[in-house]
Amino acid sequence: MADHSSHDPLAGIPFDRVPPSGRYGAAGEPGVTVSTTDTPFIALVVARNGFAASVAARLGRAFGVEVADRAGAAISAASTVVGTGPGRFLVLSTIEPDLEGTLRALLGAEAAVSEQSDASVAFNLTGEKVPDLLAKGALIDLDPRVFLPGHAATTVIAHIGVTLWRVHESGWRLLVARSFEASFTRFLVASGAEFGLALENGTAGRG
Amino acid sequence: MLIITCPWCGARPEVEFRYGGEAHIARPADPSALTDAEWADFLYNRTNPKGLHAERWRHIHGCGRYFNALRDTVSDFFVTTYKAGEKRPDIDASSGGSK
Ligand SMILES: [Zn+2]
Repeated sequence: MADHSSHDPLAGIPFDRVPPSGRYGAAGEPGVTVSTTDTPFIALVVARNGFAASVAARLGRAFGVEVADRAGAAISAASTVVGTGPGRFLVLSTIEPDLEGTLRALLGAEAAVSEQSDASVAFNLTGEKVPDLLAKGALIDLDPRVFLPGHAATTVIAHIGVTLWRVHESGWRLLVARSFEASFTRFLVASGAEFGLALENGTAGRG
Repeated sequence: MLIITCPWCGARPEVEFRYGGEAHIARPADPSALTDAEWADFLYNRTNPKGLHAERWRHIHGCGRYFNALRDTVSDFFVTTYKAGEKRPDIDASSGGSK
């Protein structure tokens, strides 16, 4: 039988460990760069019955972005508000360590707030070939002509639950439950190898 | 792959959804007033039609919400979907349910 091990970018990497930082697959300029070095503070806001519009407006004013009660990502320099379901918003911040407390003070009895910073790993994907990579695992249409900057979706990629949004022309962000970090990174490496993939691993070994 | 339209998220692949049984079955307001037969009827008996069926679905790998659908049980065609709490749309099987 032919030996395919030299064609396997994941050869020798234990399947339950996050692959280490480095270059995978095709040489040359990487088609996809994957980074988990940004570790934002994250909180989930769930509006109480009848308060979705009010909560969206309050979040928008507080973070200086346009927030609507729909699947979309409102992005500013330090914060992102992502609609994940009716009246449900994920809030990410790089500057608010007590994001949960800030949101409680802002929203009072209009919403339930829960701290989620350690729940998910945030993958930043950049490069021309990101849509081609994601197409190997996604079931929704992520064609760059259809899925525009600011669009968001909570869906399944490679059988793993993902909330993703397009940050800008060639940048996508994906939130994946932390216990799936190794599996999801393996999907990214295996699917991105043909384009050349650079992995900058920020959270491996976090425990 | 079957495409199902979540009233909140739009058209999505069927693997994001879970079936939730027949729709529009109201829990009796006072279960203790029912006979065993009436309670069993609420718990177990379903219409199981050949043709259009109003049923609950949950967008479990998306927004997480329950909604209702009218599906043709012969062709598996989803005629329409609508939000939980809304009335069953006034559509009969002849209006394009089966192909
Ligand atoms: Zn949905």
